[in-house]
Amino acid sequence: MEYVQFVLAPQMINGLAIGIAVVLMALGLTIIFGLLDVINMAHGEFYALGAFLGLTFASLGLGFWALCLVVPLAMLPIGYAVERTLIQTVFHHRDRHILTLLLTFGLALILEDAYKIIYGPNPLRPPLPVTGGTEVFEIFMPNYRLLLIGLGAAVITGVWLLVYRTSLGAMVRAAAFDKDMAGSLGVPVKTIYSATFAFGCALAGLAGVLLAPIYSVFPTMGRDFILLAFTVVIVGGMGSIKGAVVAGIVLAQIQSIASLYVSPVWSEPIVFGIMVVVLMIRPQGLFGRLGNA
Amino acid sequence: MKRVLAAAAAAASLAGALSAQAADPIKVGVITPLSGTYAVLGQQVKWGLELGTKEVNEAGGIMGRQVELIFEDSEINPAVATAKAERLIQVEKVAILTGTVSSGVTLAVGQVAERNDTLLVTTVSFSTAITGAQCSPNVFRINANAAMQSNALAAWLKAEKPDSKVFYLAPDYEMGRNTVEEFKKVAEPAGMATVGEVYAPLNTTDYSQYFGQVRADRPTVLYTSTGGNDSVRLLTQLQEYGLRDRFLAIGAASAVTPATLGAIGAAAEGFVTGVGYSPTISTEANQAFVKKFEAAYKTMPDLYGADSYGFMSMYKKAVEKAGSTDTAAVRKAMEGISWDTVQGTKTLRAGDHQAMMDMYAVAVKDGKFVVIDTIAGDKAIGPDTCERF
Repeated sequence: MEYVQFVLAPQMINGLAIGIAVVLMALGLTIIFGLLDVINMAHGEFYALGAFLGLTFASLGLGFWALCLVVPLAMLPIGYAVERTLIQTVFHHRDRHILTLLLTFGLALILEDAYKIIYGPNPLRPPLPVTGGTEVFEIFMPNYRLLLIGLGAAVITGVWLLVYRTSLGAMVRAAAFDKDMAGSLGVPVKTIYSATFAFGCALAGLAGVLLAPIYSVFPTMGRDFILLAFTVVIVGGMGSIKGAVVAGIVLAQIQSIASLYVSPVWSEPIVFGIMVVVLMIRPQGLFGRLGNA
Repeated sequence: MKRVLAAAAAAASLAGALSAQAADPIKVGVITPLSGTYAVLGQQVKWGLELGTKEVNEAGGIMGRQVELIFEDSEINPAVATAKAERLIQVEKVAILTGTVSSGVTLAVGQVAERNDTLLVTTVSFSTAITGAQCSPNVFRINANAAMQSNALAAWLKAEKPDSKVFYLAPDYEMGRNTVEEFKKVAEPAGMATVGEVYAPLNTTDYSQYFGQVRADRPTVLYTSTGGNDSVRLLTQLQEYGLRDRFLAIGAASAVTPATLGAIGAAAEGFVTGVGYSPTISTEANQAFVKKFEAAYKTMPDLYGADSYGFMSMYKKAVEKAGSTDTAAVRKAMEGISWDTVQGTKTLRAGDHQAMMDMYAVAVKDGKFVVIDTIAGDKAIGPDTCERF
């Protein structure tokens, strides 16, 4: 009983908080991939940019809630510009997959060094906006993690509603399903592309603001979640929002519980092992693509 | 006549080549983490070496030759680091290698150095294996190893809390396991029981997954040898979970440093480490160094910056004593060498190539480092266990 109370139950709630964090990262990634067919290797660096911008705005006097709004808004024009000036230049090339992969990877390296020059190499950390903890049945959970679970769930629901319940979302899905057909029906495909990329970046930026107080901020932080986020996108189905949510929470939970029974070093091979198995049995991932679901 | 002319020309060109060589810079290969969780450490290494090199060069270089540093990112990956070491030796023709941080990388690059008849001096790595079980005639260490840190820390803990129950949480690689082993070696015979241990992967983002175990084992002391960003996360997440005040937190010299203290903030309060250097050491030499370092890089030096800074004065002394940068001659000159550093005189023990130096127990009080205990170098260094040379 003590084991369940002290070890297993807190571990599962922790796993849920980590899962939500991963889903926040994976959401932007999967939407960009589902629509543009672009693997954004710089996604982690946009997450870092969100965290750094959060620090800058906080030093100007903005509070935590204002940051949750201002940082994603500030990310929109940045993402939009990146799509227009960089992605579009190689988008129609024969080797689009390779070229966009290399392009975004190069961008990631440049951004990482830029953070180092501007903010210095030492880690920084904003204070927790909510301190203390809540104890239920003697299971202790920090309040901020509970808030994170709640906020994360709200953001995920919001994104889902936006994509599946609004006419804007319908246009995005139509463009993902068949861009030529959608274009001929009057959907401004090019704008939709840029706007969606910007939206994905804004989500990464929001994740950066939300996770900075727990995971701290430093130039190479973009690499932290990116592998797990990619795994989540692949397992869930490239471009599937439902898939990203389910895979993100399940994989984080598996990793979290597995670390109790096997050496923690093995928790990553387990997750990647699951990815390999999924790729062998269902190469398209657990759920359908953005345009189909 | 023609022959004489040719000989003269040959002699002239030879002389030209010789003088060109004398003016050629001495190349020092620096393999250090410039990315990842130890980038914070690599940055200090870089700064320390650059400051030391600048001063040596301004004073006329080593035997009239300027010193040039060539940097490579080790990526904390032994496979990457060995490939880059080969390149530095074969292509750049460096005279000596330094800068390695991760103990795993140091051991691997040490083997490359030995195969290529080059020297490696680590200024950061902790694992005792480097100058112990896996010592190499081509590898030297001028910073304090895990055993020296543990001796200083355990001596203080024994006096302070004799019947501690210790939980160990360390990164899962050579350094993490070695530091725990070395601390246990002194702590357990002194009556400090081990109640649990966890080895987490390097670069762990979320340590809360291990807190259930920490709670269940109810330790009075938590020992950790995480470094860089890992330490920031571990300590702040402990605080987030209300666990930070439940026990005394202590650790290896890597755990809390000036570079990470800012981000750790209040969660670092009361943390005690065993270290060979602290910017608060009150000697004149050290205070002057801290001032210079801060003026140049807008941040305080930590143990990595200070020990790396000390490399250049040691190398200059050794090369000038040897009269060349030749590996065998420099090795001979470095064995037993004593030189002045910002933390006092260091001596490289000839038997295992480990530097002997005074050790300190340093605590974080009110956001600042305070030296709370000192142990003399000859008492801290421990026996020479290297059997290869």
